[in-house]
Amino acid sequence: MRDTIIRLKDVVFKYEGSERPAVDGVCLDVQAGEFLAVLGRNGSGKSTLARLLNALLIPTSGTVEVDGLVATEDNPYPVREVCGMVFQNPDNQIVATVVEEDCAFGLENRGVPSDEIRRRVDEALTEVGMRERALSSPSMLSGGQKQRVAIAGVLAMRPKIIVFDESTAMLDPIGRRDVFRLARRINQEEGITVIWITHFMEEAVQADRVVVMEDGKVELIGEPRQVFSNVDQVLMYGLDVPEMMKLAAKLREAGVNVPKDVLTVEEMAVELCRLK
Amino acid sequence: MPGSPFEVKALDDVNLTIKDGEFIGIIGHTGSGKSTLISHFNALEKSEPGHVFVNGMDLGDKDTKLTDVRRAVGLVFQYPEYQLFEETVEKDIAFGPQNLKLDEKEIKHRVTEAMLLVGLDDSLRKASPFNLSGGQKRRVAIAGVLAMNPSILVLDEPAAGLDPAGRRSMLELIRGIHESGVTVVMVSHSMDDVGKYCDRLYVLDHGRIEYQGTPAEVFEHGEELKKIGLDVPECAKLAAVLREKGFDIAPGTFRREDMCREILKNLKK
Amino acid sequence: MLNNVTIGQFFPGDSYLYHLDPRTKLILTIAMIVLVFIAKSFIGFALVFLFVLWCALSTKIGMKYMLKGLKPLLVIIGLTFFLNLFLLRDGEDLLHFGIIRITTGGVRMAVFMAVRLILLVLCSQVLTLTTSPIALTDAMESLMKPLTRFKFPAHEISMMMSIALRFIPTLMEETNKIQRAQMARGADFESGKLIARAKAMIPLLVPLFVSAFRRADELAMAMEARCYRGGEGRTKMKQLHYGWRDGEAFTVVALMFAVMILLNRYAPF
Repeated sequence: MRDTIIRLKDVVFKYEGSERPAVDGVCLDVQAGEFLAVLGRNGSGKSTLARLLNALLIPTSGTVEVDGLVATEDNPYPVREVCGMVFQNPDNQIVATVVEEDCAFGLENRGVPSDEIRRRVDEALTEVGMRERALSSPSMLSGGQKQRVAIAGVLAMRPKIIVFDESTAMLDPIGRRDVFRLARRINQEEGITVIWITHFMEEAVQADRVVVMEDGKVELIGEPRQVFSNVDQVLMYGLDVPEMMKLAAKLREAGVNVPKDVLTVEEMAVELCRLK
Repeated sequence: MPGSPFEVKALDDVNLTIKDGEFIGIIGHTGSGKSTLISHFNALEKSEPGHVFVNGMDLGDKDTKLTDVRRAVGLVFQYPEYQLFEETVEKDIAFGPQNLKLDEKEIKHRVTEAMLLVGLDDSLRKASPFNLSGGQKRRVAIAGVLAMNPSILVLDEPAAGLDPAGRRSMLELIRGIHESGVTVVMVSHSMDDVGKYCDRLYVLDHGRIEYQGTPAEVFEHGEELKKIGLDVPECAKLAAVLREKGFDIAPGTFRREDMCREILKNLKK
Repeated sequence: MLNNVTIGQFFPGDSYLYHLDPRTKLILTIAMIVLVFIAKSFIGFALVFLFVLWCALSTKIGMKYMLKGLKPLLVIIGLTFFLNLFLLRDGEDLLHFGIIRITTGGVRMAVFMAVRLILLVLCSQVLTLTTSPIALTDAMESLMKPLTRFKFPAHEISMMMSIALRFIPTLMEETNKIQRAQMARGADFESGKLIARAKAMIPLLVPLFVSAFRRADELAMAMEARCYRGGEGRTKMKQLHYGWRDGEAFTVVALMFAVMILLNRYAPF
């Protein structure tokens, strides 16, 4: 049994001036080392949830406990040190004019000694495969490379959790694949807990668990196979379902006895060969 | 910048012909030359050497009037909502027609039509475009281009950054525009999207057209497409796998409905 | 358009000046500018000119690249030269033809002013070409640090400058994109009278500002997420160290000052 690293209890968050809460009574436990995907249409409260996790926002009511810490308005820093965040727009999260300087930004903020920063920055850039671009200007990099630099900046801080807030939404397919693979590797090799917020269900199906949000509430939660097999419900929440699951649903309608939770092309081929 | 060290050949011997009323898909990843290609369609970029003809006008010809070209070809760039600037939705959509020096009445009529075509409610006329949701903003931007009454509409990644539901309704909207009689050229990363909507596809890689034809024809090159970093729709992949296992799947099967039918045909044997 | 401007651009290299502490370079550049202004005699000017030229050559960047920075200022330099030449009347007449009168004093002043301007540009070129923007802002922060005691926001100013430098290319690219999008909607940025042209900038400037604010907002959030809380308690990956080279450089410039003061006193020609 793994430890629970994030504990959300009846979390409500309301933006000033808005009538309805953006996050409305969310209870959620995340295990250490888990890769958790969060899905939901625009405005469903995913990003607000992400910001609650690293104390960019403090809940209106309820508690957010991250690695045993509860952030307050006055002291959000311990939580931010444990829980790093990678945002959507690659351009708008890079601060410095040189890749390695940007990577050092978080550590400098925390007052880490210079030689220690140097070591960790080199390590982090190697990890994300951007070491040879350490002295480049960020404006010379592709979107995917910028995101890798952003990830290096977070990794250098050695967090236990990284929240990716739609970090692949603005990338092309190759950049998207690279960044997703990197997140998976960090999760599997370093045991860092990953909260992966996305619109792309082909990413979500590879997660350990999927959370579907709607109107600030958690509507579905479970293993991807289980969640996506509620085809109609998932579509109703404005999301997509893996193509093979749609095909399975269609075949079942026509009286073919394939299981409804087929995720991949390979699985579907095996099922059909069995029936032939 | 010819001659400078930054000179890159973005396009290399590209020949393509788009017929009136077609729905064309252009696929390729970043740096494949798609953006450069579509900039040629309305003379934002001039080809040298080479010629681009639109409705019989030679865009390289000095006598061709730019306004005529831009009237004929509507260009919607990526994230077009970032070009909005007016106080109201109505004024923003009217920007293009005003540049064409149309009269007030005609402009008003065009705005109404464009809003209808992109599915924006008439009550939003006086709203500030900056207060709308992301999807609505994008519709305003597209309406701004449609209000110029182009006979050809070119869209660069019209669904980028939208959630799946927004994506679906945006693509349906473009299908509607196409059905209203506009020739549509859509640049996309998504094979699923172009497969579903387009009559013909061009696959670009390193400034060259690598494959062209109907979606069914293009998707037969699954392995080759994978090598240049592109994916084919899941059902096309399934078709390839099943054929290996001795299923008899008709060539060019990539739509879910067709796949379902083909599988049933095989299972009934 | 901005590709031709070399002012403010860093040119990576490994010669002597690159190994000076950026604070040294900043202080000495200011010192050199002062020297340029206190020089009164031909010998004094020759001295400064040769020294700056020597510094510029020692960078191994290439005079051609460095002089490119002068290009945008040629008009101003030319104007200063001719204004002084024709309007300043001092000393003996060299040429007197109708209203045109050129005097020895005028020639002297014209040459001095032109050389001054050229030297100013060269000094700042040497500084910015051999010092990365980060090193420069770090140096400014470090030099302004004593002022924080009087509530002077040294860290904030250097942070602002470095963020500005970071976003210049991004915003340039964005400007280009918006410009193309508006041009596709028939906007005309090039023709018309001054007022019409200024008005034509609105569709460009409004979206640019909107996006700049959005970026600022997101950047602030990203900085907070990375534990940014102002300058207090911050460390630096690259600490600044004065070395023996800095001592050398300071000594050389101090000597220049001494020589210049002596020259001004005993050889004021």
